[in-house]
Parts: sequence; C-alpha cells; structure tokens
Amino acid sequence: MKVADVMERDLTALWEDSTLLDAVEVMFSHGLSGVPVVDEDYRVIGFISEKDVVRAALPGYVDYLQDALVIPDFGQFQVRLRRAGKEMVSKYMAKDVISFQEDDSDLYVAMTMIRHNIKRAPVVRGGVLIGAVTRAALMGRMMEEVSS
Amino acid sequence: MILTVTLNPAVDEEYVVPEFRPGGWFRASQVNRSPGGKGINVSIILKQMGVDSVAMGFLGGYNGGYIRDQLAKLGISTSFVHLRGETRTTTYVVDEIGRVETGIVEAGPYVPESALARFLKAYYRMLGRCSSVMIGGSLPPGVPQDIYRDLVHMASVRGKDVFVDASSGALLSAVDGGPKVVKVDHRFMSMVMDVPLLSLDNLKSVAAKLHDEGVPWVVTSYRGYGDLFSTPEGVYIGEVPKSRVVSLFGAGDALMAGLVLAFQEGMGTEDSIRFAMGCALEDSLHLEKGVQSREAVDEAARNVKVTRVG
Repeated sequence: MKVADVMERDLTALWEDSTLLDAVEVMFSHGLSGVPVVDEDYRVIGFISEKDVVRAALPGYVDYLQDALVIPDFGQFQVRLRRAGKEMVSKYMAKDVISFQEDDSDLYVAMTMIRHNIKRAPVVRGGVLIGAVTRAALMGRMMEEVSS
Repeated sequence: MILTVTLNPAVDEEYVVPEFRPGGWFRASQVNRSPGGKGINVSIILKQMGVDSVAMGFLGGYNGGYIRDQLAKLGISTSFVHLRGETRTTTYVVDEIGRVETGIVEAGPYVPESALARFLKAYYRMLGRCSSVMIGGSLPPGVPQDIYRDLVHMASVRGKDVFVDASSGALLSAVDGGPKVVKVDHRFMSMVMDVPLLSLDNLKSVAAKLHDEGVPWVVTSYRGYGDLFSTPEGVYIGEVPKSRVVSLFGAGDALMAGLVLAFQEGMGTEDSIRFAMGCALEDSLHLEKGVQSREAVDEAARNVKVTRVG
C-alpha cells in the first residue's frame, strides 16, 4: 500500500513569519500534533511540533536535565510561553524535515516515523505540500488489513 | 487545480416525508446527511467527475469535524481555518408527494479577526497553485460584507477565472472584484434591480447591466427547468426535460461545477452550457446530492436543449 492511500489531504500549514502562538492556535483548533511550515509556493521548509513549542517555553537547562520536574510551577511555563509566543516559528521549527512522497510504501513510512519518533509528517510532490500522514492513520489502516 | 471557497459551510440534513404540512408530526421515510455549502458541493461534484480541487473556508465544532471527515473520505484536499464556534446545520424537508422543499438555515459561527487573517493569508498563497476559483454561499457573522470583492479581486488580478454564486450584498460586492462568471439569485436581484425577473427581456436587461460592470458571463434561472446564460457570444437558454426531474436540491451547485470544469477543459460556449446543464440534470435525477459520474453527466447532457435567444 502507498502512503497516498492513507494520507490526509489536509493542506493546513504555517508560514515562516507565523508566530509560536499561531502554531499553538492551529495545533489546538485542528487537533494536530505538528504543522508543516511552507513558503509562498507551498514548498515545505520546516515542521513545528508540540515538542518544539514546549521546548521554546522551557528554560534551556531542562534539555540538559531531560526532566521538566525542575520547573518550580506551571505558571512559570505559561509566562515563558506567552513571551516566546511572539517569536517566529522559523526560529524553533525543524528545518531538516522528514517528509514522504505519495508512492512511498506504508511500511517504509511507518518504520521511518517510528525510528525518528514522529507522530505526523508532511507528504510532498516536488517539495510542495499535498497532505500529511500520521502514525495513528497508518496503524488504523494496518488494523483494517489485519481484520479483513 | 480548482479552488473552492465556502466561508459559511453547513451540514445539510434532508428529511423526506410523504406529505409535509406545518404543524404536523412526521416520520421521515429517508434522511440524508451530507457536507454542504456551495463551494464544498462544487468540490464534491468535481470529485465525483474525477477532478481534484482544494476546499477552503471556516469549520468549527462537531459539524465542522463531520464535514472535514467526509471530505477526507472522498479524498478532497482541504485547507480550512478552524473556529471555536459550531458550523451551522441547514435543514430541508422534502415533501415526497407534492415535490415541495422547505428549508431552514442558521446564521453560522462568528469568525474572529485572527481567523479571518489566517484564512486570507492561506487563500492568497493557495491562489498560486490554482487555475480557477469558485466562491459561493452566504457570509458568516464577523466577516466583512464586501469580502467577496477582495477575494475575487485577489484571484482575478492573478489571472484566475473566478466563478461566484451568491446573493444579497455579497454578490454585488463580488461583481466589483472582476469575476468571470456570476450566478444571479433570482429573488434578490428582482428586489435590487426593482424589476420582476419573470420575463426574458427583464432577465436580459439585468444581465446587460452586469456585463456593463465587466462580468463576461451571467447565469440565472429561467422558469422552473431552465437557465439563462448571457455570454460574450450571445444569450442562450438551456433547458432540461421536466418529466425526468426527481429533486432540484443541489442542482444549482452541480451547474456551477459543470461550468467550472467546462472552462477548465476549454469547451466552447454552447458545449459549456450543455455540459453545465447536463450536470444539473444528472444531479436532479435522484434524491442523493451530486452526480453519479462523468459518464452519467455526458449522457445527461445529450438531453439538454440549448437555444440561442439573443
């Protein structure tokens, strides 16, 4: 099976000059774990995930300690998120984007997503966004095949 | 690719009852639920004919999720801005015996400024990927009344063919933006132009006024089972056989989908009219919304009569 059979043809995207607050609003209102960032021609130039937003709002030392329990309270996180929210997504997005082509096999896509621990990735044609694939959709399709 | 814009989508709920009358209680013999709104309907009909499009606009809440899921199942590309409110429901009651339709529409969710700004940015960029744009339907609360002028203008200055199917002030503002084709709402235009639009001469004079405003194609319904097409090549009436019509629900959207596709494929004037009317006829041959296939539309188009009247 090709990824084209399981991908969402959802072209929801952010732009280079979108802010982190825009990203949070889009992720929240669309129920997405991550959103592609595209240029004027809808070419994918980055990807911003929930993890990137959280990282932007946490103090740098959390990365070193690999544990958010060092933050004294949630209020501090909110304050930092509000401050970071005005910054551009381009500062925090992943620029080395893992994306797929329509005719990539479901197995290849699933294995790549597991290896890189990503939940959602863009599907492109000639670099231009044409949809997105999620781990949940892949698993759902695999279960359908097993039960049939 | 074709871009369709539906700023105020709806979930269409159609209840078929044997003999509907106000004040009674009825058991529906059939209930049809489907994603609705003029642009969305055009996207669905294009897909049924094997043509890809991308649908844009605003969605919200449970109804918005339903529309998004249905369009995803059909494999239609989407780029909607999601709102906190609830996308509206449009309820139709179809009287099976009298063949009369009764409709109730809601206003739709409020669109905040931030959501509108996100939509406009996405729309502008999406224009770069599209060859033509179809804009239709009512405006939700919060959206400027003249937004259609801006949307049409943004597309037309970039060389896109723009098709508009709207009524009231939204239609009038769209005309200022320079669309290629407008579908005129009968009742509203008769109110605005202050002329009864029942006679052919009156319809032609309204079309002439819109041509003076720079609109090359004007389409409006003519009697029950025909449409008037005022084009740069002449004025035509397209008619379908009345006896075969089951339900006209959604036939207007099918007509627009047919015209958009006819332009996309470079058909001549009379062939475009015949094809568009073929879409409308095929749609009206059954209660289900939309058309069966491209082949079924081509077949239906053979039953369309096109007459030049000016």
